[in-house]
Amino acid sequence: MLFLRELTPAEDTALVPATPRPRRHFTIGEAIALFTLGGLIVLAIVGPLIAWYSPIVPSGVPFLPPGSSGHLLGTDNLGFDIGTRVVFGLRISLFAAVTVTVISAIAGMILGTIAAFVGGWLDSVLMRVTDLFLAFPATIVAMAIAASLGASLSSSMIGIAVVWWPMYARLTRGEVRRVINSPHVEAARMSGTRGVRLLVKHVLPSVVPTVLVTASLDVGAVVLTLASLSFIGLGTPAPAPELGLMASAGMQYILSAWWIAVVPGVAIALVALAFNYVGDGLRTVLRAKGF
Amino acid sequence: MVRFAIDRTVSAVVVLFVLLLLIFTVSRAGGADPVRGYLGANASAEAVAAARERLGLDQPLFVQFGQYLTGLTQGDLGLSLSTRRPVSEELAQRIPATAELALWAIVFALILAVVFAGAYSLRGKVAAVIRFVLFSAASAPAFLLATAGVLLLFAQLGWLPASGRTSYGPSDGMTGLYVLDGILAGNPAYAWDAFQHVLLPALAAAIGPGVAIARVLADGISGSLKSGYAQTARSLGESESTIVRRHALRNASSPALTLLGVQIGMMLSSLVVVEQIFSWNGLGQYLTSAISAADLNAVAAISLVLGGLYILINTLVDIVLAIVDPRVRLT
Repeated sequence: MLFLRELTPAEDTALVPATPRPRRHFTIGEAIALFTLGGLIVLAIVGPLIAWYSPIVPSGVPFLPPGSSGHLLGTDNLGFDIGTRVVFGLRISLFAAVTVTVISAIAGMILGTIAAFVGGWLDSVLMRVTDLFLAFPATIVAMAIAASLGASLSSSMIGIAVVWWPMYARLTRGEVRRVINSPHVEAARMSGTRGVRLLVKHVLPSVVPTVLVTASLDVGAVVLTLASLSFIGLGTPAPAPELGLMASAGMQYILSAWWIAVVPGVAIALVALAFNYVGDGLRTVLRAKGF
Repeated sequence: MVRFAIDRTVSAVVVLFVLLLLIFTVSRAGGADPVRGYLGANASAEAVAAARERLGLDQPLFVQFGQYLTGLTQGDLGLSLSTRRPVSEELAQRIPATAELALWAIVFALILAVVFAGAYSLRGKVAAVIRFVLFSAASAPAFLLATAGVLLLFAQLGWLPASGRTSYGPSDGMTGLYVLDGILAGNPAYAWDAFQHVLLPALAAAIGPGVAIARVLADGISGSLKSGYAQTARSLGESESTIVRRHALRNASSPALTLLGVQIGMMLSSLVVVEQIFSWNGLGQYLTSAISAADLNAVAAISLVLGGLYILINTLVDIVLAIVDPRVRLT
C-alpha cells in the first residue's frame, strides 16, 4: 500500500526549482539576505542585553507612531515599546524554531539511519510510519496537538516537532543508502570494518552535514508556523512578546494604528524571506559544486 | 489504472483513520481539561466528576475511541463544550463559509500561478524586480498579506470590504456559497457583493501557493522547451506558442498539480488565520474560539474536517494525474 506515491523522475527534478545557470557564488541579493539573517540573529542574541526598555512594562505614551523620539518603531495600545518587544520576540521565535528543528532533525536522523542500515521489515515499518506522517496536513495537525496540550509555546513546539521529523527521516534514509554503496564504504567494509563502527566512522560523516544544511534552512519555515499558531492563540498568553500574538492583538487597532500589527508581521516576514533566499542560493551553489 | 485508484483510495482511508486516532488520543490524553472548560474554573470536584461520568470521560481511552467512532458514523461529533450545542451543528453552519473561501482561494492560486509563471520566464531588470516582489510576498505570513490588503484596498482606497461575507443578510440559497447562491437566485447585485467580500481574504491565502506553483511551472516549461520533443516540434515548423501550449505546458503541469495538492494543505492553515482577520464566520474562526475555550471536541472535529479535506484533495490529484500522465502509475 502506498501512503504517498513515489514521485516520477520528471516531478522529482521539477519540484526543486532550478536556476537557469548553475553558479558557484551567491548573487548580490542572496549575499544581502545572508547579512540580514546574520544581523537578525545577532540582534536576537545581544538585543535583550542592550535594550533600555522592558518588553512587558509600559515605557511611553500609547499609540506613538514609528519614528517618534525614543521609540523608533512606535508604541502599542498599552504604551509598550514595539521595537523592544520585536527584538525579544525574535529571540523567542528563533530560539523556539531552532529547538524544534534540532529535535526533529535528530529524531529523523536516528529513525532514517536505523531504517536504512538495518533494512528488512524494520525499514518497511519505519518508512510506512514516516509516509503516514508525511501524508498529514502538517500545520493543521500541529494546531490540533498544540491545542490539546493546552495553549503555550512549548505545546506549539511539540505540535510542530511531531509533524516535522518525517522529512528528515526520509532524507536521512535516502542519503545513508546512497553513501553506503559508495567506494570508500566498500573499501572500509573490505578491510573488516563492520556494524556501528562502519556507520559512525564512514557513513554518517557524509550524511549528517547534508541533513543539517537542509534543517538549518527550514528554521525560517518553523518561525512562520510558530507565528501562525501564536496568532490564533496557541502560544504564551499576553503580555509575552511573541511576534504572532503581537500581530493578532494589534489587528483591532489596524485602522487607527497600523504599526502595532504590521511591525511584528514584517519582522517575521523578514526572517522567513532571508532564510528562503539564503536557502535558494546555498542549494544552487552546492549543486554547482557537485554536492 | 483502476488498481492504482483503488490503492490510493484505500491508503487515503488508512491515513484518515490514523489521523483520527492521533487527534482523538492527544485531545483526550493531552493536558487541557475539557470538563473545566465546560463547567468553569470554580466548579466543585463532585460536579467535575459527575460531568466527567455523564460525558463518558471516565471510561478507558479505547472505549471512548469506540464510542467516538460509533458516533462519527452517525454524524455525531460530540458536544461543543463551549457553546453546548452538538459540534456537528456548529460545523454544518460554518462549512459552507470555509468552502466558499477555499474554493476561491484555489481558483485565484491557479490564475496567479499562470500569470506569475509568465512573469518568472521574462528576462531583464524589471523581471528581476518582479521576481523579488513575488518571492517576498510568498515568504510573508498570510496575516501580513491580509493586513496589507486591508490597509491598501479597504482603508486607503475603499475599494473592497474587509469584514464578513456580505453587506446584505445571509443567503437563503441552497448551496451556502454566497456568490453561487446570488447567481442561482438571479440576483447579480448579491453575487457581486459577496464576490467583493471574498476577494481580499481569498487573495491573501492564494498568493503564497500561487508563487510556489508558478516557480515550478516556469521551470518546467523552460525545461520542456529545451527537450528533444520540443526540438522535433520546432523542426516540423510549429510556432513557439503552439509548442508551449501543446507540449511544454502539458508536461510542466503534472509537477505543478502535485505541488497544488501539497500547497492546499498550507492554504487551509492560512485560511484559519485569514478568517480571523476578516471576521469570516467559518471553521477557522470556530477553531480559534474553540482553542481559547479549551473546547477539545470542537478542535478535534475541525482538524478532522480540514485534514480529511486535505487527504481527499491529494488523493484526487494523484488519481487525476495518473489518468493524464501514465508515468505516475508505473511508480
